[in-house]
Amino acid sequence: MIYLKLAFDGIRKNKRLYLPYILTCSMMTAVTYIVDYLHYSKTITEMRGGSIIQEILVLGNFVMAFFSCLFIFYTNSFLIRRRKKEFGLYNILGMGKKNLALIAVCETAVTAAISVFAGIFVGILFSKFTELILLNIIDLGVSYSFSVSWSAVIDVSLIFAGIFLLTLINSVRQVGTSSAINLLKSENLGEKPPRANWLLGLAGLILIGAAYYIAVTIVSPLDAIMAFFIAVLMVIAGTYMTMISGSVMICRLLQKLKRYYYRPNHFVSVSSMAFRMKRNGAGLASICILSTMVLVMISSTSTLYFGEEKALSVRYPREINSEIIMQNIDGLDYETLTPLKEIIDGFSKDMGASVENVVDYRMVSAAGLLFDDGTVDTDAGAYRTASDFGGVVKRLYQFYFVPLEDYNRVCKKSETLGGGEAMAFGINRDITQSELSFIDGSDLKIVKTLDAFPITGDMTVDLTPAIVLVVKDLKEAVGGLAGLANYIGDSRINPTWIYGFDTGLDPERQFELTGKLWEKLASLDKDAYMIYSRSLSGREDSRREFLELYGGLFFLGIILSATFIFAAVLIIYYKQLSEGYEDCSRFGIMKKVGMTDADIRKSINSQLLTVFFLPLGFAAMHLGFAFPLVKKLMTLFNLQDVSFYGVVTAVCLLVFALMYVLVYRITSHLYYDIVRGGKEL
Amino acid sequence: MAVLEVIGIKKTYTSRFGTNRVEALKSVSFRVESGEFVAIMGESGSGKTTLLNILAALDRPTGGTVVLDGLNLANIKESSIAQFRRDNLGFVFQDFNLLDTFTVEDNIYLPLVLSGTPYREMQDRLRPIAMRLGIPGVLKKYPYEISGGQKQRAAVARAMITDPKLILADEPTGALDSRSSDDLLRLFSEVNGLGQTILMVTHSVKAASVAKRVLFIKDGEVFHQLYRGENTNEQFYQRISDTLTMTATGGEVK
Repeated sequence: MIYLKLAFDGIRKNKRLYLPYILTCSMMTAVTYIVDYLHYSKTITEMRGGSIIQEILVLGNFVMAFFSCLFIFYTNSFLIRRRKKEFGLYNILGMGKKNLALIAVCETAVTAAISVFAGIFVGILFSKFTELILLNIIDLGVSYSFSVSWSAVIDVSLIFAGIFLLTLINSVRQVGTSSAINLLKSENLGEKPPRANWLLGLAGLILIGAAYYIAVTIVSPLDAIMAFFIAVLMVIAGTYMTMISGSVMICRLLQKLKRYYYRPNHFVSVSSMAFRMKRNGAGLASICILSTMVLVMISSTSTLYFGEEKALSVRYPREINSEIIMQNIDGLDYETLTPLKEIIDGFSKDMGASVENVVDYRMVSAAGLLFDDGTVDTDAGAYRTASDFGGVVKRLYQFYFVPLEDYNRVCKKSETLGGGEAMAFGINRDITQSELSFIDGSDLKIVKTLDAFPITGDMTVDLTPAIVLVVKDLKEAVGGLAGLANYIGDSRINPTWIYGFDTGLDPERQFELTGKLWEKLASLDKDAYMIYSRSLSGREDSRREFLELYGGLFFLGIILSATFIFAAVLIIYYKQLSEGYEDCSRFGIMKKVGMTDADIRKSINSQLLTVFFLPLGFAAMHLGFAFPLVKKLMTLFNLQDVSFYGVVTAVCLLVFALMYVLVYRITSHLYYDIVRGGKEL
Repeated sequence: MAVLEVIGIKKTYTSRFGTNRVEALKSVSFRVESGEFVAIMGESGSGKTTLLNILAALDRPTGGTVVLDGLNLANIKESSIAQFRRDNLGFVFQDFNLLDTFTVEDNIYLPLVLSGTPYREMQDRLRPIAMRLGIPGVLKKYPYEISGGQKQRAAVARAMITDPKLILADEPTGALDSRSSDDLLRLFSEVNGLGQTILMVTHSVKAASVAKRVLFIKDGEVFHQLYRGENTNEQFYQRISDTLTMTATGGEVK
């Protein structure tokens, strides 16, 4: 019982440290509970795309648990540092290591119990609230019932019990391995003056540089996914290395610049930064990484969410869009297509749609390997056992043959072409060849490279590079390919008819029309109309799916960002707090030696400014270099509008910087108060 | 000429609700002439530290005036007091008060840097002082890498580098072993011999015995003083010791 009392006493006496710690832990618990709750939520399961969001939420849950663990460990290390002194005293007064461990156990149990209970309580209160927000973002009506997810409660309790157990093991280990004297002195034990580690700093810079290079030079969106993860890891490692040893390096250099160093406002700040940069650097790097994560997440998810309309109109240029693949190239003759068209038009008009703003063109698509000399082999399957399979995949292109007649009609142009000539448009990659030679097909001379092509539908979600070829005569260009099969027996080419139109109907009836028209198309006799396969998509239909997916992502972005911001603020708070206590006696001495309050304020400002805005500056730089990469990733989500993403990113950065300044102002006051408190002689 | 003139200093501490009043200093008056080496002795609680804080302008007296080099401390604005302290006073503390974030050299430079002195001039000033104090070898080290005696000599160097009117020392030998104490006290006499005025607060008879004059404080008042005259350190030590014995036994002095 005495241990419990001592534990409570310890917590009460160190309120200023324990309160924010418990707050941190409960907030982490609450957020983890909420994410977990949503993952179990029936309401979300039942909505369209709910399963996708819940899958993402599982990922979010994992990230939260991992991050909570790291973060609670980090904050706990501050506590241990300050509690060691007390433990040392108990040790000298006759308590054994075993008794100390018992106190630590009680203390951890108390903080853990309070944090987890408070966290789950807050989580339950807010879980319904966040559910409502999520459903609102997704644009759905909801039931207002209140519920507790016991599975989530159990999950969260287990996760956090594990985390607290880890921190306990860590503190017991630290107390157990040091002598009473070391414990007593641990708080005053200054860190050894750091020797600048050039190698580590340089390696960090190189890592960041390499990551930036990857981010900037990435070409295809498909590569971007992999590259993104590699670059993220490199940037995280590089940032830590650079900030930890690079900052010491810089301080050492500054100290060598006598003219700069021996100025009243640089003298104190540079030396104290150099002195504790090793620990400081880790904190700064964490803040920087968290800020970068927040910025990337928020800017990309909000771009997706707010850019949804634009993405929709790219992916679905008309309210109703159909893509019908014919059994063979003859199916693209107008004799075959006209009856189909009449059926669609007639059916739609019967349902009250005005078939207007029609887009109607034919194309033949084929996949093939493009070699540097312009040779194209559409028999890609033959390479599936090649030893250099990775190299083969990189050469994989999608080709779209479009007849000149249709191009001129759709684009309202009057271009002319001769036989064997083509105009080309590259998707995802520029065209370097001037002539393409299809094995078993025809040779095409590229006479013109198009600046733009109204790519529609599935073309917009191409991950591989693709080339649109506008040709004089479709059958002539495709040539012998038409009769050939690939290694699994399918036709090597897909003759496709693209037909879309606007309806002039309200969303509800568009939704209905899409469903009915699909049934109609599905009921058609395939062979009579030479149909191989058909697809139909309504913009309204897809809007709902988009909203749910992007809304879910956006929501997750907000929740995770809020958590990360919160974590960054707490790291800053802890930094200021612990450094304030450390600097307290230092500034006391300086005051005796003749430093005025104004001097102290100036020196503190110069120090805080550097320490504060270094991570923000770095984060902005990371964000800048991540831009091209994230932009590529966004094209996977149909977002082609770069300037929109740019604007959103800039706005996010601005808002974030404002919040950051606010935090800076509040915490610097805290620091100053602590430092000023120690003015007795 | 008097460097320091203390006239009727009073300091009363009042507890938060004004129920308890403690008179730390009742009425203290004395003068310190230029080039003097004065020790102030008294037991714990006699008001030594309070007096030193007031002389250092770290605390304001309840009554009375302190005149340093012709300037009344009460007339100095709060904002310029630190500057004044930096320019006119040097401090040596019991626990050295060196900053562990600075090298010894930078610790010594600190008051000069705060005054905006150019690096070249700081170097020129440090060289002779470091030689005299015997610390050139440790200048590039950090405080926790050197011994207590070296630390205190570094602190003395910091006090001297501004060329102050008066050096205030608060129990400078308190944290030192006897050999380092002897070294430091010898150093103080030497520095004083060069014309530096020193005021030292101590309860060590040994420390006081190197001074030229000793003031005794009891119950917030100066109740006695001794001049060294032609005495050797040992003789002076004996006289101080006798005085303290008499005070403690309540006997009348002289």
